[in-house]
Amino acid sequence: MALSTEELEEAILAKAAKSPKPQLYIKDFYACDPETKPRAIKNVANGLVKQGKMVFWSSGSTTMYALPNRVKDEEHRTA
Amino acid sequence: MPKHDTPLLDELEKGPWPSFVSDIKRQAEKKPECWDILGQLELSYEEKITHWKHGGIVGVFGYGGGIVGRYSDMPKRFPGVAHFHTVRLNQPSSKFYSTEKLRAICDLWEKYGSGMTNMHGSTGDMVLLGTTTKNLEPLFYELTHDLKQDLGGSGSNLRTPSCCLGKARCEWSCYDTQAICHHLTMHYQDEIHRPAFPYKFKFKFSGCPNDCVASIARSDLSVIGTWRDDIQIDQAAIQAYISGEYNSNAGAHADRDWGKFDIEKEVLSLCPTQCMRMDGDKLQIQTSECTRCMHCINVMPRALKPGKEQGATLLVGAKAPILDGAQFATMIVPFIKIDPENDFQEVIDFIENIWDWWMENGKNRERTGEAIQRVGLPAFLQVMNIEPIPQHIKEPRSNPYVFWKEEEVEGGWTRDVREFRKRHAQ
Ligand code: HEM
Ligand code: SF4
Ligand code: SF4
Repeated sequence: MALSTEELEEAILAKAAKSPKPQLYIKDFYACDPETKPRAIKNVANGLVKQGKMVFWSSGSTTMYALPNRVKDEEHRTA
Repeated sequence: MPKHDTPLLDELEKGPWPSFVSDIKRQAEKKPECWDILGQLELSYEEKITHWKHGGIVGVFGYGGGIVGRYSDMPKRFPGVAHFHTVRLNQPSSKFYSTEKLRAICDLWEKYGSGMTNMHGSTGDMVLLGTTTKNLEPLFYELTHDLKQDLGGSGSNLRTPSCCLGKARCEWSCYDTQAICHHLTMHYQDEIHRPAFPYKFKFKFSGCPNDCVASIARSDLSVIGTWRDDIQIDQAAIQAYISGEYNSNAGAHADRDWGKFDIEKEVLSLCPTQCMRMDGDKLQIQTSECTRCMHCINVMPRALKPGKEQGATLLVGAKAPILDGAQFATMIVPFIKIDPENDFQEVIDFIENIWDWWMENGKNRERTGEAIQRVGLPAFLQVMNIEPIPQHIKEPRSNPYVFWKEEEVEGGWTRDVREFRKRHAQ
């Protein structure tokens, strides 16, 4: 049985919280539910960004996902 | 008054060519932050190291693309470029705009950004260079509400689709490039505005094999117009070229005297497949050998035209990475009708088959073309449910082995090991 959207959201947030690297690729979340298609997992991850529970980090050529409190904030750096 | 001394950059103003250094100095008269671009770049020239940091979490609300975060790593020394984000705007199909629209975009960019632009980026978008985080939302509001202009794609999004002039201006276009480009742009708004893949994905549409948007070199899915039947020949016009009445290449090379037009030397012997000949004063083309390279049509446009049964070739997997080397797209489907009647469904099915496979099998930051290189074209064709044809073959085999698939072998891989060991002791 594939996970429900809520279960998948929880699994994605848990993975983003305990992963050693703060920024994850979309592929890193596929393992949260092997029974859900990658494009559906992507939609749930993007939904979490919309809700403000995750943020996109983009280099310009690739985009990654992170919890807001784990990502380096370029905006407020001083040096 | 220059804010920084830039002797190294000043060298770049000396040649006979337009200079981006002069352009930025001119813009700095209006937008003082532009001095800091020059100052920071001069420092990079001295130290041979960049002072740009790139990437970040900047964007506008609801979008996950279109804004590319750029920061200086020396914001105290160069405060004008402490933030210097890039904004990508989705260009109209074939890049038709009114001058009124262009002026409005430039005015808006003078208001919220550095005023520097790049028209157009190799992505196709209009690229607006240099603004701060706090200006992004007001810029986006006016852009979308007043100018009715949207952001384009960046990051792991579907990138802004782009197309050649197509049927709007060009008699060679074998399908309506703008129609499909616009349709897919609207159809895939979510994929353009939010990340959707392990890496970027691009479509580009050219109406004929001249490929004016260089789709074969720059897109993961390249759609190039072609035809299935004979090139249309007007024999009387061929004679008019031979006699010199018509200028070859529509006069494009007429500024120099190349001597009398020689159809043998300039057309027949340059046909890459040697499929043309003069039979008396009649030109003949053996269609089955013609690769649709466009050379003969380009040289004699009043005499030759693409055939009447028109469609497109689908090619997959171009890339231009810095490390692994560039690669052209590979021909996958030699001919497909491009059909607006059913909203281009065949092309959409083809695209989504690629996406489903690539999302599952592509590695992080691996373009479709790299994934195909890794697994091999035969494996990709199988995924796409396409029978191999001779035109898929790039070179003779270099591996002598033949690999059978289980279903091709009678009895499959299973066998009775005990029975076998009775005959072949270990
Ligand atoms: C003020 C500084 C910069 C300017 C003016 C600038 C300008 C540009 C322009 C004009 C493009 C091409 C867009 C196109 O052709 O469609 C581009 C693309 C790109 N730039 Fe920069 N850039 C700057 C800083 C940087 C930095 C610091 C990096 C990385 C360290 C970077 C990485 C890239 C990448 C990866 C792309 C291609 C994105 C893609 O389409 O995949 N840029 N930039
Ligand atoms: S690609 Fe072909 S059809 Fe499109 S503008 Fe160029 S010559 Fe014309
Ligand atoms: S299009 Fe190219 S290959 Fe075909 S006949 Fe003309 S020159 Fe030869």
